Amino acid sequence: MGAMGEMKDGASAANAIETVDLEMTYRSGRVDVPAVQGVNLTVRHGEFIAIMGPSGCGKSTLLHLLGGLLQPTAGSILIDGTDISKLSDAERTAVRRRKIGYVFQRFNLFPTLTAKGNIELAKKIHGNGVSNPNGVGSIFEMLGLKGKFNFRPSELSGGEQQRVAIARAVINRPAIILADEPTGSLDSRNSRTVLRMLRDLNKKLGQTIVMITHDSEAASTANRVVEMKDGRILTPTCGYSYEPELERVN
Amino acid sequence: MENLVTANIRSRPTRAFISILAVALGVILMLVVGGIVSGTLDDYLGRTMALGSDFILQPGGSSILYAFSDASLNQKLTGVIEELPGVAAVTPVLSKFHAKGFGLVFGIDMESYNRFPGRLEILEGTASLTGDEVIVDQAYADAQKVKPGMTINVLNHDFKVTAICRPGAVVRVFIPLETMKVLNGTPDKVTIMFIKADPKADLDTVYATLRDKFPGNSILRASDPNLLLAETRLPGLAEFRMLVVFVSMLLSFMVILLAMYTTIFERTREIGILKSLGASQRFIVGMIIQESVMICSLGAILGIAISEVIRIVIITRFPTLQVSMTVGDLLRGLILGLVAGTLGALYPAYKAAKMDPVKALSYE
Ligand SMILES: Nc1ncnc2c1ncn2[C@@H]1O[C@H](COP(=O)(O)OP(=O)(O)OP(=O)(O)O)[C@@H](O)[C@H]1O
Ligand SMILES: [Mg+2]
Repeated sequence: MGAMGEMKDGASAANAIETVDLEMTYRSGRVDVPAVQGVNLTVRHGEFIAIMGPSGCGKSTLLHLLGGLLQPTAGSILIDGTDISKLSDAERTAVRRRKIGYVFQRFNLFPTLTAKGNIELAKKIHGNGVSNPNGVGSIFEMLGLKGKFNFRPSELSGGEQQRVAIARAVINRPAIILADEPTGSLDSRNSRTVLRMLRDLNKKLGQTIVMITHDSEAASTANRVVEMKDGRILTPTCGYSYEPELERVN
Repeated sequence: MENLVTANIRSRPTRAFISILAVALGVILMLVVGGIVSGTLDDYLGRTMALGSDFILQPGGSSILYAFSDASLNQKLTGVIEELPGVAAVTPVLSKFHAKGFGLVFGIDMESYNRFPGRLEILEGTASLTGDEVIVDQAYADAQKVKPGMTINVLNHDFKVTAICRPGAVVRVFIPLETMKVLNGTPDKVTIMFIKADPKADLDTVYATLRDKFPGNSILRASDPNLLLAETRLPGLAEFRMLVVFVSMLLSFMVILLAMYTTIFERTREIGILKSLGASQRFIVGMIIQESVMICSLGAILGIAISEVIRIVIITRFPTLQVSMTVGDLLRGLILGLVAGTLGALYPAYKAAKMDPVKALSYE
C-alpha cells in the first residue's frame, strides 16, 4: 500500500480505486454521525460497479470521499495509485480534475451556458489545452446529442441534460466516473437510455464507473453490485473474480 | 465561445447594470471634481502668468487666489520697488471677489498695468478707466451681452462700460484702482503687486533683492509655472483631491463587494459544481475577479464618457468654469476604478474559493 501511495502516474496501478479501512464521521454539533465505517473497496480498471443500499447508509458520502470532495476521518483512498487521503486540498483538487468525472442526480449543468458551453468549461478547467482524443462532436454523437450543441439546459429534456452531464464528465477522459443516482430524476425510458450510454462508455472506451442507484434494474447494468448498510459494505468484494475482457466477449 | 463570466453578467442584467453605473459614478466624481479643481488651478496659473510679470508681491501668509487675500499691502511700496535695481515696472492691484459676476474684479492703475506684456488690449470702445468706468473682457461681454456705453453693476455700484478687451488678461472685469479703494474702504492698501524685471537683469538677483527688502511678504516667481505652482500655497487642495479619489474608489469598492458577495451566494451550487469538476481555488478566484474587472471596465468607460459629456456641458454653459481632464486623468480614472473593483471582489472571491464543495453542491 505504501508503494502505491507514492505512485504518481496511475497507468500502471493495478486498481482504479482502492480504499483501506475508510472512515467518515460527520460532526454536526455534539452528535457524531458515522456515515462510512471501515470500508475496504477495490475497483479495477475498466470495471463498472453499482452501489446500492437504503437511504442514509453513506453511499453519497463514499462517492464524495472517492472524488476527494471530502477528507476522510480515517483510512486511505488510492485513486489510480495515488493516496488522496494524504494530499492537501489543492492536490486533491488536482487529482479530481485529472482523474475523476462526476455525474449527479440533479445533472448540475450551468444554467447560463449552452450544452457546448458546459463541455467547453470542463475542458477549460482541465486546462493545458491537451487535445482530446474524443472531441466534443464525437462524444455528443455517441450520447445521441447531435444538434443539441447550442441548447441551454432549460431547453433540454431531463434525459438530454443528463447525457450532456455525462459528456461533460468524460470529455477529459478521466480514469473514473463517479455517478450519484444518475437516473434518479429520470423516467424509465430516459433512465434506460442513460444507463445504456454509461455501459457503452464502459465497454467501448473501457471507462471505469462507480454508480450509486436505488434501482435494481439500473444496478443490473453494472458488472458488479456492492451493497451498503449503515456505512458498511455488505457484499464481500473479494468474492468476485472479475475480468473485463471476458465481459466484452458476451 | 461561451464564457461563464459573460454568461454570469448577462444572467443578471439589472444588477450588472447598476454595478456598472455605480462604478461609473465613482469615476465621474473623481474626474469631474478633480477636473474642476485642476482646471481652476490651471486657470489661475494661466491668468496669473498672462500678465507676463516676473514676480508677484503678496502680504506674508496669504495664499492662492488673491481674491481671498486681504488688502494689506501698502501702496506706497510701489515707489520703493520701482527704485530697486533690475526692476522695470510695478503695478498695484486691489482685487475683490464679485459673487454674482465672473469671479474676480481688479482695481488697477491702467497706466502702469499696461506696461506689462499682458496689457489690456482694447478690441472695442475707448481705453479709458477713471471714476465709474469699467473695462470688461470679450468673454464677459459675450456672456452678459455687454457693449461699450452700457451701464453694469459691479460690487453694488454702477459702472459705465468704456471698452471691451481681449480675454485672458488675468481677470475679466477691471475698474479704476482709486474707485476700488473707496468701495473697499481701504485708502492706501492693495492686495498684490505685479513686478516686471528689466530684460537685462538677472531674475535670481532681482528675486534675492526683493526677498531681502520685503522679508515679511511672500514673493511668487511668476516667470515659470512650476515655480509659481510650487510657491503658491494651496491649503488642503492636494488633500481634497485625495479625498475625492478615495471616496469614489470606496464607492466602486463597496458596490462591487456587495454585488459579488450576493453573486457568490446565489451561485453557491455552481461553485460546488466547479469544484466537483476539479476547478482550483485560483480558477474560482480568477473567475470572480474577471467578472468584476469586466463590470468595472464597462463602468469606468461609461464614467469617462459621461465625464467628458459633463465637461463639455460645463465649459459651454459656464464659460468661466474650467474643467481639466487630460488623457492621463482619464487613464487614472480607468485604473483606479478597476483597482477599487478588483479589491472589492477579493473577499467574495476568497469566500467562494473556500466553500465546502459538498455543502455547496447540496445548496438549494
Ligand atoms: N454534512 C453532513 N453533516 C452531518 N451528517 C451528514 C452530512 N451529510 C450526510 N450526513 C449523514 O451521513 C449519513 C449518510 O449520508 P449520505 O448522504 O451519504 O447517504 P446516502 O446513502 O447517499 O443516502 P441517500 O440514498 O438518501 O442519498 C446520513 O445519516 C446523513 O444524515
Ligand atoms: Mg445520496
